[in-house]
Amino acid sequence: MDLVQKEHERLSKRLKANQGIKNVQSTIDLLQSARDAIAADPSQASITLAKLQNPVKSSFDSINDSLKETHSGLNKYSKSLDKLFKDRPLPSTEHDVLSSHENLINRAIAMHLLREGQFSVASTFLAEMTEKKTGIPEPGSESISPENAATLLNPEEVPSNEVRKQFATMYYILHELQENSNLLPAIQWSRDNKEILQARGSNLEFELCRLQFVWLFHGGQISQTPVASGRQAALEYARREFHVFLPRYLREVQQLMGAMAFCPNLQDSPYQNIFNNPSAWADVAQSFTREFCSLLGLSADSPLYIAATAGAIALPTLLKLQTIMKAKRTEWTSQNELPVEIPLPPSYLFHSIFVCPVSKEQTTDENPPMMMPCGHVIAEESLKRLCKGSRFKCPYCPSESHPREARKVFL
Amino acid sequence: MAAELTSTKLNAENHLLLDQPLLKLPYELSRRNFKSVQRLVEREKDYTLPALKDAANASLANTQTPDQTIAALDAMISRMQGLKRKMEGLHQEEKKIHDQSRKRIHHLESLHHIPSLADVKYDQWSRVRLDRLIVDHMLRSGYTESAQQLAKEKDIEDLVDLNVFVQCQRIAESLRRGETKDALQWCSENKAALKRSQVKTNCCTQYNLEFELRLQQYIEIIRTGDRTKYVDAMNHAKKYLTPYIDTQSAEIHRAAGLLAFPRDTRAEPYKSLYAPERWSRLSELFVRTHHELLSLPSRPLLHIALSAGLSALKTPACHSAYTSSSSNSLSTTTSVCPICSTELNELSRSLPYAHHTKSYVENDPIVLPNGRVYGQHRLLEMSKKVGCVEAGKVKDPTTGEVFAESEMKKVYIM
Repeated sequence: MDLVQKEHERLSKRLKANQGIKNVQSTIDLLQSARDAIAADPSQASITLAKLQNPVKSSFDSINDSLKETHSGLNKYSKSLDKLFKDRPLPSTEHDVLSSHENLINRAIAMHLLREGQFSVASTFLAEMTEKKTGIPEPGSESISPENAATLLNPEEVPSNEVRKQFATMYYILHELQENSNLLPAIQWSRDNKEILQARGSNLEFELCRLQFVWLFHGGQISQTPVASGRQAALEYARREFHVFLPRYLREVQQLMGAMAFCPNLQDSPYQNIFNNPSAWADVAQSFTREFCSLLGLSADSPLYIAATAGAIALPTLLKLQTIMKAKRTEWTSQNELPVEIPLPPSYLFHSIFVCPVSKEQTTDENPPMMMPCGHVIAEESLKRLCKGSRFKCPYCPSESHPREARKVFL
Repeated sequence: MAAELTSTKLNAENHLLLDQPLLKLPYELSRRNFKSVQRLVEREKDYTLPALKDAANASLANTQTPDQTIAALDAMISRMQGLKRKMEGLHQEEKKIHDQSRKRIHHLESLHHIPSLADVKYDQWSRVRLDRLIVDHMLRSGYTESAQQLAKEKDIEDLVDLNVFVQCQRIAESLRRGETKDALQWCSENKAALKRSQVKTNCCTQYNLEFELRLQQYIEIIRTGDRTKYVDAMNHAKKYLTPYIDTQSAEIHRAAGLLAFPRDTRAEPYKSLYAPERWSRLSELFVRTHHELLSLPSRPLLHIALSAGLSALKTPACHSAYTSSSSNSLSTTTSVCPICSTELNELSRSLPYAHHTKSYVENDPIVLPNGRVYGQHRLLEMSKKVGCVEAGKVKDPTTGEVFAESEMKKVYIM
């Protein structure tokens, strides 16, 4: 990378020097002065012209020289680029399953734009998509095969207005929350969806109310209620709102109330953490986003982002694999499984993974994990192979059991 | 040998795999620019030096009046000034390209200062990359307007190649409409480079863009069915097709045969020569040639990244008929897996899933009577938070069933 940078700098410097054009200008000057001389004194024309030959020629030579220099600079730059990317061709295009799912990719992109809050770009994109779809279908112009066309017409395929509206709501609430420190829309939303949130075991409503309390405590003003401010307002808020939380969050509410006593000296009190948490707003915003997306059945972070990042992490490994396979002329034996393990950061593991300790295979719907009475889990196929229909010993402990007693588990 | 299950190591050099076109394209552009400067200079040199000599000789031999000499010199001066003007134009362009490259190098360079994949800066960097990839995909698919808008909103106009793709799309579009003019002009602009790439990849690219374009023009003349125009067609063929006789003799013979068949013929291969689909094939050929020339990958980078990424993330549970206990949208204890999320679920259906050699579960797994496995600690925490569960009971976050805590059973996963 350093090398590339250095070569590029050298190249730019040469470009700035702009030698070629200067040389051209000097040629023009030469010709111009000769012309003036001849115009002034026509009798000297032949001598002037004869004298002119060599300088013009040499100035052309110097133009060429400067070009040559640029050329060699370009070559060096290109070499440094090759070095940077050497032995790293992009993966071959043999099995590009994705290009047949163009519309699915476009849908994912549209969703991504929406959830990133890029509403105007998203609507332009959707408009262009429909334009392309409904555009006069020139014979064979687009690669819309019959089944593709069918899915294109399916309204499910493109994010509907409903989804767009939902995200618009989400961004409105987030905007209010982050820019104006206005928690009320968020609290309202969490009340509207109270039951679902509670079933999910979400603390969102309480977290929002607690932040509102803290905010009031620090002197936040709601324009409609002019009277009380600071501690008083917080206390009133607590009286008004917190009783619904008492069954579930008794301890937390008690903490908030207890803090009242420490009001003059919060810095040194045990409540310091609750009241001076710089990331509190960001945390609440994040958990709000998460809950909001979850209710829509979507993951909190853009899947497209995670997938593309994981792809960039995985690519070097896959490429290495490709070269090795080519060198050894081996084939990929496991049809629907990648042949190598790809280490991803822990946050990229979403599901629990169960690899049967006997067969070393991942369990699937057809071959689910089975738990024996002793609590050890192996894959169903391994179990069948081990027991041969009669009582058998667990491969990991001395207990014996009958295959009938093994139970399917869900990870 | 089992690789590590997780890792946050970041190998910047390896990581830039997807970003090769980012630097290679500006390089190709600047080389093209350089070539045109060279050509211009060469042309002026070839004109000026002999002209000057002629003028001197004529002046010596006294066959020229001073006025004529001055006129000749004036012509030279104005040509040189034209050259200078053109060079200045190209110089400006070159500067722009270099500026762009500098920003791009800087962007790539910044990755080298990021210590690990878990770093916040990596997150930001990767988001910029995703935006780049999306713009790349949009441009290639012809969603120019969206691409421009996105690049502008995200302030990454210097990191994407809007103009190149816009031009490419314009020509491809004109071909689809049945016009060869723009494409032929592009061919003549890139004649030298095309010739070179033809030599290099002759074995794999069977098609020569310019030949195919000329052939199409020939077909269009014959398509009129007007016998009087056949002479034009033959002249056209003689002029533009015969130079390719060494490599494309079969096609040329076929083209000659075409004269004998009307446009509604059912006889192959003439039927397919008349076929209107030939235009869209030409358009594809153009795009392919164009990308090859600028060393752009033939398919969108986003596809490359996604197909690798989806596979790396995918598990057998993602398309399972049973709801996964460890990742679903039903409870706050889990986050939704991106493959399970509606956006990518269908897309990843046909892809292979990631390979794992070790189980990966929470370290305190228990099983509920309904067969669902959870981390004990997390399950208890979660049950405490959910309102409607009495003390001593746990609620299955996936199915909503309630069990006594004593019904939890330890499960051993190796």
